[in-house]
Amino acid sequence: MRVDQTHRPWLIGTAAALLISLAVYATVAVRFREIPRGGSPLGLTFGIAGFLLMLFAGLLGLRKRFPVWRVGRVQNWMRAHLWLGMLSFLLVLLHSAFTLGGTLTTILMMLFIGVTLSGIYGALLQHFLPRILTVEAPMETIYDEIGVIREQLWDESKTLLEDLLRQGELTGNSSKPISIVESPTAQVRVTEVDEQSASALRNFFETEMEPYVRSPRSKSILAEPALRKAMFKQLSVLLPPERQPMLEELEGICEEKRQLDRQAKLHRWLHIWLLVHVPLSYLVLLLAVVHAFMALRY
Amino acid sequence: VFSSLTPEFMDRLGQRVELVRYSPGEVIFRQEDPADSFFLVRIGFVKVSQVYAGGEIVLAYLSRGSYFGEIGLLAGGSRTATCTALDHVEVVRIQAEDFQEMVQSFPDIRTRLETTAHQHLEDNKMRIKNLRNLPVDDFLSQGLMEAQSLLVLDLDRCTRCDLCVKACADAHDGVTRLIRDGLRFENFLIATSCRQCRDPLCMVGCPVGSIRRRNSLEIIIEDWCIGCGLCANNCPYGNITMHPFMVENSEGAAQEFNKAEVKMKATSCDLCHDHPEPSCVYACPHDAAHRVEPAEFFAQIARDKALKLTTKEPSRRAG
Repeated sequence: MRVDQTHRPWLIGTAAALLISLAVYATVAVRFREIPRGGSPLGLTFGIAGFLLMLFAGLLGLRKRFPVWRVGRVQNWMRAHLWLGMLSFLLVLLHSAFTLGGTLTTILMMLFIGVTLSGIYGALLQHFLPRILTVEAPMETIYDEIGVIREQLWDESKTLLEDLLRQGELTGNSSKPISIVESPTAQVRVTEVDEQSASALRNFFETEMEPYVRSPRSKSILAEPALRKAMFKQLSVLLPPERQPMLEELEGICEEKRQLDRQAKLHRWLHIWLLVHVPLSYLVLLLAVVHAFMALRY
Repeated sequence: VFSSLTPEFMDRLGQRVELVRYSPGEVIFRQEDPADSFFLVRIGFVKVSQVYAGGEIVLAYLSRGSYFGEIGLLAGGSRTATCTALDHVEVVRIQAEDFQEMVQSFPDIRTRLETTAHQHLEDNKMRIKNLRNLPVDDFLSQGLMEAQSLLVLDLDRCTRCDLCVKACADAHDGVTRLIRDGLRFENFLIATSCRQCRDPLCMVGCPVGSIRRRNSLEIIIEDWCIGCGLCANNCPYGNITMHPFMVENSEGAAQEFNKAEVKMKATSCDLCHDHPEPSCVYACPHDAAHRVEPAEFFAQIARDKALKLTTKEPSRRAG
């Protein structure tokens, strides 16, 4: 989500809560001349508060699972998740007295740092990537439909190639067929596609275009706009003027494929961080319960 | 504006006015033409545009109930803008002499018209000074101005999580009524979802009257839909889809076994009429989904652009 002026109340609230916590922490530390430990009354308070905020942050997953529940707008839950999640991390730091402690607490803290950092990373991605996706993939489609669209593009390109190479159908005035335009000022026009040119086009189609359009991830010069443009310019001399629009359509198909690939990549970036953030979060919650039990029991 | 007209005057006027029809794209009058009539819009949309040094700028879109042509008549000169029919337009045309008689006989109407006209002229000057033309014309052929409510997704915020689609499906027996694809206008996506058209073509010809408009905005399809598909075919924007539903068969031989049948039914967005807010908008985690009224929405975009241009200008001059 974009972190904009609607987040200001949350930022102010979080900052205020943190300042108050730090003030209390500092007061107690100065008064008793020692850093409040995790097991002290203040340390426990911070620990419980931090854990409760972690629990609430973890409820976002449940909220999203049932989006129609009328228990507050999901965007408010998202803002709360972001800011209260950050606050929970800071409270847990105070609870830990800025030490790692034993093995369990060290692992817990490392995981919690991982959750927080992955969350911040995800927030940054969600802030910047949507705009990049909008600009760089204007032909984007629904992500799950990319494979279907790719196949449709392939079918379209096959039909275009057949039309391109069809002999005997001219859109303009017919004249004596000559296969090669010798100079821009030549008096004769290329009106049909000769065998040599047709073979070259078919070869390009089979060796370059088909692997590129059909494959979800392919490295091809057709993926580079400047190189693709140069290649199609070379191909255009093989065709009469009447058939140039069809060649342009083929180029358009390559461009659409490039944008779909770009969309797929950016979409993965936008969502793949959750594969780290969500499992780590559940692990942290679980270990936090274990830690609380162990600390209070023993 | 015309509330103070007496019934006698209206009767007299009614015998002298003309009902004129224009086809889509037809120019009603051009900028600089002599002002000879006043117009009231009965049906359709009229585009008001003006030519300036940089090109043409669209000043307004007028719909049913609006009026135009008064500025030229009040100033006693020529037209200040070009008015063009966007779709099939029907107007009531009042000739200049009848208009002049009206404003002379009812000075309060003249005052109101002059006040509004003055405001429009000032707004137009500001727009021409600051505003670039919005490329909305391309979208008018898709009937966006016919809509009363568009589902718009801000693609600069949308993370393509599809929670809006999921929420819609969850609110409607597992069948979504929106598709997160459609026209794009700058960074906005006009999702494929019922637009609650002013003139709902989908309602034409329903054999069982199951598609109807309630007292408010939304068009709903009732349970007794027989799945003929006529409304889905009639919708020019593909916003109604046919979906198979399991329906308990309580008739005939199957009654004993309570066997369910699969029946096709039409589905479309009903704005979640039993909730204060559509589920898709409510469920969006990124504040990207909004239901908007198109004229206000495009006007707001134009105002935001004008504001950006005016705030940039001083720095350009300083540079």
